[in-house]
Amino acid sequence: MHKKVAIIGGGIAGLWSAWELARQGIDSTVVERSAFLGGHVAGFACKATDRCRRCGACLLEDVLQNVTKSDRISSLLRAEVFKIEKTNGGFDLTVSQKPQRIFPEKCTDCGDCEANCPVPGALVRSPLTNQLSVDEEVCLFYKDGSCRACLEACTAGAVKLDGAVQDIQLNPSAVILATGFKPFDPTNKPRFGYGRIPGVVAAPELDSMLRRDNWPGDRRMRSIAFIQCVGSRDAKIGRNYCSRVCCGYAMRLARLLKYRFPEVEPSMFYMDIQTYDRDFDRRLAEAAREVRLVRAIPSEVRLGPDGSPEVIYHGPEDHRLSESFDMVVLSVGISPHAADLFGALAGLSYNRDGFLGADGEGVTTGQEGVFVAGTTQGPRSISETVSHAISAAAAVSSYLGNSR
Amino acid sequence: MNEQLAESIFLCRPFQPGEPVLNRVLVMGGDQTGLELANRLGREGLEVLLVGNEAGAQVSESVKVMAGSVLEEVHGFVGRFEAVLRTAGERSRERVGFIVAAQPAEIVPKYDAYGLSKTPRVMALSDLESMQRFGDSVEPRRGDWFHAAFLLGLQGESEPTEFARVLKAIQRLQNEERVQCYVFTRNLKVAASGLERLYRESREQGTVFFKFDTDGSAFEDGPEEFLMTFKDPLLGLEMELAPDLLVVDERLNPPRSLGPLVDAIPSSRAASPFLKHDSTRFAGVETAKAGILAVGPSRGVFDAETIAGDIEAVVLAVKKHIPDSLNSALAGPPEIDPARCTICLTCVRLCPHGAISFHKRAEADPASCVRCGICAVECPMQAIRLEPPAGEEDLIERIRRGLSNTGEGAKRIVAFLCARSAAQALESVGMPIRRKITPIIVPCAGTIDPGHILAAMEEGAQAVLAAGCYKGNCASVYGTVLAAERTNQARHALQEAGIDPDLVMFASVAGNTPATLVQTIRHLEAAVDRAFAKNK
Repeated sequence: MHKKVAIIGGGIAGLWSAWELARQGIDSTVVERSAFLGGHVAGFACKATDRCRRCGACLLEDVLQNVTKSDRISSLLRAEVFKIEKTNGGFDLTVSQKPQRIFPEKCTDCGDCEANCPVPGALVRSPLTNQLSVDEEVCLFYKDGSCRACLEACTAGAVKLDGAVQDIQLNPSAVILATGFKPFDPTNKPRFGYGRIPGVVAAPELDSMLRRDNWPGDRRMRSIAFIQCVGSRDAKIGRNYCSRVCCGYAMRLARLLKYRFPEVEPSMFYMDIQTYDRDFDRRLAEAAREVRLVRAIPSEVRLGPDGSPEVIYHGPEDHRLSESFDMVVLSVGISPHAADLFGALAGLSYNRDGFLGADGEGVTTGQEGVFVAGTTQGPRSISETVSHAISAAAAVSSYLGNSR
Repeated sequence: MNEQLAESIFLCRPFQPGEPVLNRVLVMGGDQTGLELANRLGREGLEVLLVGNEAGAQVSESVKVMAGSVLEEVHGFVGRFEAVLRTAGERSRERVGFIVAAQPAEIVPKYDAYGLSKTPRVMALSDLESMQRFGDSVEPRRGDWFHAAFLLGLQGESEPTEFARVLKAIQRLQNEERVQCYVFTRNLKVAASGLERLYRESREQGTVFFKFDTDGSAFEDGPEEFLMTFKDPLLGLEMELAPDLLVVDERLNPPRSLGPLVDAIPSSRAASPFLKHDSTRFAGVETAKAGILAVGPSRGVFDAETIAGDIEAVVLAVKKHIPDSLNSALAGPPEIDPARCTICLTCVRLCPHGAISFHKRAEADPASCVRCGICAVECPMQAIRLEPPAGEEDLIERIRRGLSNTGEGAKRIVAFLCARSAAQALESVGMPIRRKITPIIVPCAGTIDPGHILAAMEEGAQAVLAAGCYKGNCASVYGTVLAAERTNQARHALQEAGIDPDLVMFASVAGNTPATLVQTIRHLEAAVDRAFAKNK
């Protein structure tokens, strides 16, 4: 297993870097913690209405196709890096990989394992390929060995519950860190009632509802409030930055809802709308015809007398207003988490907002030979992430002095 | 559109014989970006022609600065472009492998938008910046304090990069004693690294921000003072301000000198005024045509930090010099039958990737062609063949085979699916639904021909689906628009023949929306049932 580049994280940034390197003739190994490639984008719905709205979610399918076809890219799924050491002219990476539990080449997708599994969430499916995997954190077999229901139900012999974690050594000449971001956890802003008040959801949850086509489409779902900057532009909780993508994200979600369910009336509570596309003046005017824009960040979401969420905010001229909605969507920001994974490993530097690397848009990390791609370095949209991943691949290629 | 295209077609010259010159790059510059890019490419051992930069700039020895030159025409393809340059009335032809549009943004002050004009007290942001750079002092203060007001995106949305410039200018002004700054804005654009922090620091240092939802301020330039009157958006109070200095923001437009490059990629007219399409399918610095790259403003990015990353991406693209061919599994580029080609130029006009030229007949450049097949369908003489689909006979054979394998009781539905979207969605569709259709995967929906749709019906299909990307997302710019039009033509033909046109439909299906594909198939099944019931 001697590959030239190790890429940590199999989301769109890592995959795109790998693909660009492959096109340069450089081999790479993608190390992915979860059971599936694709990262956050795999769970995003296409935001097209009657035309493409440029969310970029479909780029994942493109790059996955290229990555799976390329013999220059190998991937390690359910694998985590727990050591990076610099050696002479390269790195030693120790990766621990959990064995595969469900083998897609044998699986006939009959659904018997799911039908017999007693614990919700023990069997997980890729939102993208529908492939199955087992979550050892939830599955009873790994808790106390008490259950083998899926194994017994599977007639195709696709399930294998035993097998131990393996340590794998990689010796790449360069490393790209593309572990991505954590969505801000809205329970850290208790005043918005997330987890307490029915009808309050985080934007990615609404997104996956739309992706899986299970919108609770009934007459009781008309007024939808989007609250922007939840976990962004909030110095008090250590989020002294704009997450850059949530305005576009909420706008696209609202317009998609309106397009699919014309009875929906979306409102958006905002501080400042961030530009997210070329020709933004025209687009904003277009969006404002479909989405009611309210310039105020609500002070509170509380349980209204009829059981639906009620948004309290200060309107113009400082009047305190309250308004009841059928659903309140929290536009949660992008939080860093590379530091949780790598800490001070390999002498990496983090910027003041906690993202890996320096301020700005660069791809360096303070450690020679280690580069960063995508939201690991800071908030960015899908297409900005792709551009950034291309720049990271370019920097790696120059670093390796690749001349063909 | 066609008239516009016509003027560029006749600039399209035949192949230049000779070896490709992959180590020569033409950089269209004009500021620091062009210079950095040229030097960076020079360090990679490439020979660089830098157009549109001041003479005397510091360049490495492999960079030739063509100061005062203007690019007039571009012909040819990646590895063998011919650039026609005009230098002081003289025309010269240069052979280069790549062309990079790295011109600076065109900066237009918004005086008109505010009904203002330049005076000693009213200036554009760039004017203030250059005064500060040269240490010129701004107009003397009238009172004890110096009041400076900045307009930012009150008319026309601004960009984060402009806000960063405003904050820097304010910082410099505040180096003096007793300076008070005000920013009049609508939406503060803080979506850039570290910008929110700078904004808060500026507020803490006393800068006052007024955020308007409506008109903002009225201006009155009197002999004594310049007066602004407005309603404080938070308190609703009528306010007056007589600033010593009013700074007007600027519009950032893509460079105006992109014309010859747009001519070389006819489909990029749809991206006007930018060179790169807004479709997310064109990643990074790539345009629709191999070998022509767009950096920064010409691709719609104005942030200096991102432009630095673009420079690296250009180096990568030039080193790679293998054009992106997602269909590399396919055979060669389209074959054009010289006996049939009448040089009508339809293919030259319609190739979204500017990959076809003509001399004694049309010819496709293998390195620029992405095998989308739009030319083959559009050719009125049927002189173009692309493998696969290997022509009519093979296609009909596949349809026949598929229909004969249709299971008992299933509807006979033929589905032409774009490889870049609907075919990807099909992979995530469950077998029971998948068995309902005979899929014909095409490289781009733009290759779907009304003749093919009707042929499928003749071969016994009960319904036909044509599915491609959403409008604005097509990897071949307008392939999907052509597909929708052609499906309509087929529907009309059916209607003329007295057959229910609803048995043929076009649908936009993204690669990640299998559910849409399933819905569409069910929809067609229902149409078959209805038509069948009517015929009883």
